[in-house]
Amino acid sequence: MPEKIEVTLTINGETRRGLAEPRLLLADFLRHELGLMGAHIGCEHGVCGACTILIDGRTARSCLHFAVALDGAVIDTVEGLAGPDELHPIQEAFHQNHALQCGYCTSGFLLTTLEFLRRNPDPDEDEIRRALTNNLCRCTGYTNIVKAVAEAAAALRAAD
Amino acid sequence: MSDTPNYVGQAILRREDDYLLRGQGRFIDDLPTPGDTLHLGFVLSPHAHARILGVDGSQALALDGVTAVLVGDDLAKLVQAPFAEIEFPGYHVHGRDVIARQIVRFVGETVAVVVARSPYLAQDAIELVEVEYDPLPACADLESATSPDAPQVHDDIPNNTIFKGDFTTPDFEAAFEGAEHVIRERFRSGRVGGVPLEPRGCLALPEHGDGLVFYSSTQVPHLLRTALARFMEHPESRIRVIVPEVGGGFGTKAQIYPEEFIAAALALKYRRPVKWIQDRREELLTDIHARDHIYDVEIAFNGEGIVQALRADITTNAGAYSSLPFGCTLETTGGARMIVGPYRITNYTYNARAVATHTAPSGAYRGVAQPSCFMAIEGLMDRIARQLSLDPAAVRLANMVPTAELPWTNVVGVRYDTGSFMESLQRAMEMIDYEGFRKRQPADRLVDGKYRGIGIASFTEVSGTGAPGWRARGLVRMPGFDSGIVTVEPTGKITAYVSHAHAGQGHYTTFAQVVADALGADFEDVTIVEGDTATTPYGTNTFASRSAVTGGGALIRAATKVREKMRRIAAHVLETASEDIVIEAGRAHVAGVPEHGLSFLEIAETAYSMNNHTLPDGDGYGLEETDFYDPPLVTMANATHIVEVAVDADDGRVRIENYAVVHDCGRLINPMIVDGQIHGGAAQGIGEALMEEFVYDGEGQLQNASLLDYLLPTSEDVPMFKVEHIESPSIDTVGGFKGVGEGGLIGAVPAVLNAVGDALAGLDININVKPLRPTLLGNLIREARRDRL
Repeated sequence: MPEKIEVTLTINGETRRGLAEPRLLLADFLRHELGLMGAHIGCEHGVCGACTILIDGRTARSCLHFAVALDGAVIDTVEGLAGPDELHPIQEAFHQNHALQCGYCTSGFLLTTLEFLRRNPDPDEDEIRRALTNNLCRCTGYTNIVKAVAEAAAALRAAD
Repeated sequence: MSDTPNYVGQAILRREDDYLLRGQGRFIDDLPTPGDTLHLGFVLSPHAHARILGVDGSQALALDGVTAVLVGDDLAKLVQAPFAEIEFPGYHVHGRDVIARQIVRFVGETVAVVVARSPYLAQDAIELVEVEYDPLPACADLESATSPDAPQVHDDIPNNTIFKGDFTTPDFEAAFEGAEHVIRERFRSGRVGGVPLEPRGCLALPEHGDGLVFYSSTQVPHLLRTALARFMEHPESRIRVIVPEVGGGFGTKAQIYPEEFIAAALALKYRRPVKWIQDRREELLTDIHARDHIYDVEIAFNGEGIVQALRADITTNAGAYSSLPFGCTLETTGGARMIVGPYRITNYTYNARAVATHTAPSGAYRGVAQPSCFMAIEGLMDRIARQLSLDPAAVRLANMVPTAELPWTNVVGVRYDTGSFMESLQRAMEMIDYEGFRKRQPADRLVDGKYRGIGIASFTEVSGTGAPGWRARGLVRMPGFDSGIVTVEPTGKITAYVSHAHAGQGHYTTFAQVVADALGADFEDVTIVEGDTATTPYGTNTFASRSAVTGGGALIRAATKVREKMRRIAAHVLETASEDIVIEAGRAHVAGVPEHGLSFLEIAETAYSMNNHTLPDGDGYGLEETDFYDPPLVTMANATHIVEVAVDADDGRVRIENYAVVHDCGRLINPMIVDGQIHGGAAQGIGEALMEEFVYDGEGQLQNASLLDYLLPTSEDVPMFKVEHIESPSIDTVGGFKGVGEGGLIGAVPAVLNAVGDALAGLDININVKPLRPTLLGNLIREARRDRL
């Protein structure tokens, strides 16, 4: 078996180290080496978006990257969004609008929304729908997710 | 229920959200895995039909970390071939080895299992297992599967016909022959699946010797436990099934699959933890499929569009095996029994058959049969309207059973106790300004380069099936009831255990609303426990839109018993008669004297002998009651969906421009959650109508076993859904609830098809298949326009 290589990542502001064989997917490294279970694996071929995280501030499919290739990268995952007492405004908007059911795809939607609203803080419905095609949801029919993203955008603008 | 419900009917935000939004939902692959866990990998057949000549696992076994490569004969020593016990005239019961032994019958059927130290090693090992096959002719196509020269799927099932049933009313022929008009049509429904975002998986942990804690992403923990015990011949009491968070089920996870038996059996054999997480390709290849149906229908009607008689000839593709636990007739008999929907159709005949092919087994996907049978009957309603130049809404209204005539027993004996067939249609027409659309719509339907149409689907939705309903369809081992235990703990807080298992429906919130009202308790004080056979009472579990009806009913019955005991205790302590005690807002008091009362804590301390009070004569210690609820035959919900579409004249793409739903599921527990069920179902229905389809080639190869090729609807494919409710509480069920899990999907399929049919009516294009992909519609439009030049 090939030797394992040390990988250092900054995850949600914290330095994390782990060992990965070269073929280990970033999703598996985060989940099974580092214990960050929030990103879920839905297809392992980059379509569903359930494993979406941010790499250096940009959304990425953690199932399409090898952990060893990202040594030194800055990663954001769903675990970094909320404080112990308060949800992030995007999470709060998802809660208020019933924008999640089973919750399996949710962390991917949250991170897609995080990046999207940084780029476009005041989107219209069509822009929101286009941005969300990054991610599949099989439960909600998207209506409440679209509403939640609009509401989150308003909340984030108000907070600025 | 209490006289003044405080929680039922309110859009209370979900308790589940906080942990799920934080990424702390613990799904099957998120559970802690012991270090000595063995990981399974399955070697899948690349052939739809072949004889297995040999399996050579030696190269795989040579890999460091690979423990075993096992074949069908190895597993047959540990697990009997499971089979669905169906007792129905015309049904051929047959089993399926958990790993194929001599013959494989669909692409994706397991031929060997590898056991390895990690999932990556298991994948390596799969690649190294060499299987020698003798390929045999395959039959994947429903149209030809019953022809005399078709390859046989099972030697003992002649003509591949697993099931054949029929029914006719005495006056059918006379009514049919006497009608002024007859329309014949063949509707062809494409094969789809639930495709939950989370694939399946299981984790089997041996404990206490021959005990087994079995985690599975299942919708049916109690049925799974019984099946594991029965087919492994292992004591049921030594097995505990726990359902972690489940990432969507949609019926797909209501089946019991071979991998579950294999993981359980190998954990017991090796006395080590065994884990398996499915990948997406396996999910698409091997999870149950649905809806591969042909409906040949004839409808006879008079000059006013009133239906005189209906004949349905229904053929459903069962796939290679009957799946567990439902067998393969759910969609066959379901369509035959439900096609009359909300209409007064009293002369009816059907022939229905389930046909085996060399494709993935079919099973219970959300909506079971109803998207297809309403595609047929709702398509026929539109055709009657077109033939007689009537409005499609008017034809429906003329044929519906009016509310004043309910309860109504339909032609196959299903009782509709309450409902709002006409009212839901009329309200949906108002919501979407149906009349205005018709006035604006030009005869050629063409506006701004797009064909604009509007489509209606009015339908009934089977929910909350009880034991009589399962027996009527031959499922002799499907219980029908569900159970609840309601406990007021010594501190006065409430734990309610229910036999269900959620996959996103919000049970921790909705069942707590039901229990709080039934007890007169504070919502915040109620905690729901489900999905664990060690703590929850037995039941039929969570599929077929049953939780609200059966779980809600069971919890109300158990809570009512607890409430009566609390009244007796309070009356005893307060020295009054129990009839004079009122329980509300977490407190019992003397009627009319709110200050003269006891808190739940004080009553509980009395019940648990933690103070100086005594219990009333005849009452024992504790505050815990168990009860079950078995609903009648079925509980019938109803709804109308109306959809506006624009079909692009150049490329055949369909855009949904407006979408209105009026749904009636009786008493609403949580309108926010009900709306969410309808939105999600309707999106799946739009997928089924416009893009989703499993495509097998003539050799039985699945052509699209990836999410790049099996298209699921995205946020750009669906509209903002507008949903309103009519509440016609059931008079036949405890609590008045009706199910809602499937209605969104059932309505969307025929509504979208009818809208496209309406949009293209000016071109005389006949819409009788689904999905309506752009290539199909684009070609039809081009041909129709060419013909007109």
